Amino acid sequence: MFQDVGYFLMAWTDPSLLLLTALGTLAGVYVGAIPGLSVTMAVSILISFTFKWDVNDALALIAGVYLGGVYGGSRTAILLNIPGAPSAIATALDGYPLAQRGEAGRAIGVTTVMSVVGGFVGIAALAVGAPLISSFALMFDSRDYLLLAIIGMLLVGSLSSGSLAKGIFAGALGVLIGMIGLDPMTAQGRFTFGTIAMMNGISYIAAMIGLFGVAEALVQIHHLDKTAIRQKASSFLPDWGLVRRYLPLSLRSSAIGVVIGALPGTGGDVAALMAYDQARRSVKKPSRPFGTGAYEGLVAPESANNAAVGGAYIPMLTLGIPGDAVTAIIIGSLYIHGLKPGPLLMVETPHLFWFTVGCLTLANIFLLVFGLTGIRVFSKIVELPKGILIPLIIVLSAVGTYAVGNNPVDVYMMLGFGVLGYFMRMYGYPVGPVVLGIILGPLMDASFRRAMISERHMVGEFLLGFVTHPVSLVLTLFLAFIVLSQTPLFGMLKRQADRASRS
Amino acid sequence: MIFRTLLAATTMLVGAGLAAQAQDYPDHELQGIIMWGAGGATDVVAHAVTPAAEEALGQSIVLVNRPGGTGAISTAFVSAAPADGYTILYGAENPQLHGVMGLSEIDYADFYPVNILGRGVGVVVARADAPWNSFSELVADANERPGEIKMGSTGPGGIPFVVNAMLNAVAPYEVTAVPFDGEGPALTALQGGHVDFIPSGISAAAELIRAGKVKPLAVINTEPVEQLPNVPAITDEYPEMEKYLPWGPFYGVFVRQDVPEEAKTALVEAFDTAASSEDFVELMKNRGNIVMNISGDEAREFLDDWQSTTTWLLQEAGETKVSPEDLGIPKP
Repeated sequence: MFQDVGYFLMAWTDPSLLLLTALGTLAGVYVGAIPGLSVTMAVSILISFTFKWDVNDALALIAGVYLGGVYGGSRTAILLNIPGAPSAIATALDGYPLAQRGEAGRAIGVTTVMSVVGGFVGIAALAVGAPLISSFALMFDSRDYLLLAIIGMLLVGSLSSGSLAKGIFAGALGVLIGMIGLDPMTAQGRFTFGTIAMMNGISYIAAMIGLFGVAEALVQIHHLDKTAIRQKASSFLPDWGLVRRYLPLSLRSSAIGVVIGALPGTGGDVAALMAYDQARRSVKKPSRPFGTGAYEGLVAPESANNAAVGGAYIPMLTLGIPGDAVTAIIIGSLYIHGLKPGPLLMVETPHLFWFTVGCLTLANIFLLVFGLTGIRVFSKIVELPKGILIPLIIVLSAVGTYAVGNNPVDVYMMLGFGVLGYFMRMYGYPVGPVVLGIILGPLMDASFRRAMISERHMVGEFLLGFVTHPVSLVLTLFLAFIVLSQTPLFGMLKRQADRASRS
Repeated sequence: MIFRTLLAATTMLVGAGLAAQAQDYPDHELQGIIMWGAGGATDVVAHAVTPAAEEALGQSIVLVNRPGGTGAISTAFVSAAPADGYTILYGAENPQLHGVMGLSEIDYADFYPVNILGRGVGVVVARADAPWNSFSELVADANERPGEIKMGSTGPGGIPFVVNAMLNAVAPYEVTAVPFDGEGPALTALQGGHVDFIPSGISAAAELIRAGKVKPLAVINTEPVEQLPNVPAITDEYPEMEKYLPWGPFYGVFVRQDVPEEAKTALVEAFDTAASSEDFVELMKNRGNIVMNISGDEAREFLDDWQSTTTWLLQEAGETKVSPEDLGIPKP
């Protein structure tokens, strides 16, 4: 016990580890905030130069970058309508309208506090429930991933602000784009036109950077003469009442974040989108209608994506299974450092678990500090002359896309998506569903086929599985509830129940 | 700690500068293209062997991951780069199957093997609560209820797929192969009880076996391996397997065939030193891999044998798009 506390405090008491965690967090916030530069990229670059370091130094730095980077994505989502990272796509939906109202400072303040709350929930889940949550995550079968993907696809409704038909079209386009590349089951090329460049499929990062970053920059060219909205110089520190009001939503969203983060194969991006959807469905009276600057629309995804960090560490530390792309890279680096990631990692190197928990806690505290300082300077980005801002965004988008796979083809595709995104925006098509389709389409495709193969293509047994397995049953009921609650029948039943309870 | 590392790095660079003057190649830094993504098996091996090779070469090697197309993107890139010995490829076994899978016309015949660093061994693992204690028991059970046992796979050409084809050739049985995105996700599904067994690579499964999370039935080798001394060799029960062995995934360093001799010699020497370094040998052992450290003709022979065994096996299993005969690959 005392030993565990000692491991936990290791990063707190060693000045060099303390400094590294702080540096990592600070760097993470800014790397995450720059559109195009992603956390996965930052971690993979950092890891390769920490190979010669002591393993603890490397882990402290990475914990900081990871947590800071996931948070940092919200900055440009709010200020420029460009998510800095995939996990901040949902944040832009209500964050950018807030910036347009001149409330960017306050929005960043709320985001920071709620990200930290989410971070702590994730860390607490890791510290207390790691073995339990990891064995729960193992219970998820292909069929359950299929259900998760379907539930995720329903998000198209939340992401399309104007016409639902246009939203569905955009989502379908995304799924179609997601099908490009080698078939995951048979390695047959799909829509590759026989070229090696297309075999890898279309990177959703390239699509996201193009559709959000470059498209936004192109749209802004229309408004070159418009003066920037002056940001209110109010206090950034959200008052206690506001925090207390959003705390229940934040905790709910964090719970979603932990579970989605802990599942191998889904990460912070899916968690944030699902949490946003959950908020839209469950919050009855938002501060403003969703999509026009509701603080609830910031709280939910930002709590969830930071909670997903702790969640992703759970299967990594207990089972040696990566919870997302970043933890997959960390596992590789543990091998190079001579450790053996796997179920025995906690038994043979017991310090690693509590040391990691300690680093993450520390990074989360630094996040609060770095997140709440410098907001004023950051908010000035919006007031930059467009002539400087727009070229800068396009250059960073190109650099960031190249860095993902070191592949120039990705950059061309990104620019193509930028033009596509521009026209979609001009004609009122939402771009969010496209990225959603690219992320969830392949998950749905592979999970469905894997589940069917597992049942030897017997449709009856496949369908029976949805109600006979406990995890599937819960997800199926949840899916049915979401769909039914949108039908007129449900509203009628509810009104009847209300009347009955009143009389 | 970091300052010490920095100091060491500086000394190394200064030393390297002095050493470089003695020869023409390499006179500037090299680029190392890694066939798979960050954190994957090839990436780990590449990062482990490179520091010692850099020291021996006296130049740094900038490592870049170029994953995609099961390796075809990296082979195409290195083939298109100048043949001056400054672009090297860190690859796995995959290109040897690109021809028969119809993915790419480039395979290791277009490259000079600087060093085949090592190879992995296959191991058949089952659910921890599976009723079988040997592979023959699994085969007997599968024959009793054909198609009901689920095997985790990684798609055509992957380790589980090829090992399964070998086993099926010597002991016919019928199972349902469920393809996953890689051995990692397949082994995760095995622990969750969603599949029943996987013919996996040892490096992915070793830690799970040690922790008792999965049950090893046999190693795909002619003798037990050092990391799993208690797991019997497959040839104990099925001696006919010997004709396919040794077989396993492998990792190597390659340059274009038409690179100048001087560069080839320097690289072969440097990687020979690196592959015998203590750190590298330790890492390979930890991952359950066997260090090979072969180059030149010996490596070429290994590559040709591997390709011939595997492609013809896939051909007989009806899983090729292009016949190995059309590609001029001799029958084993």
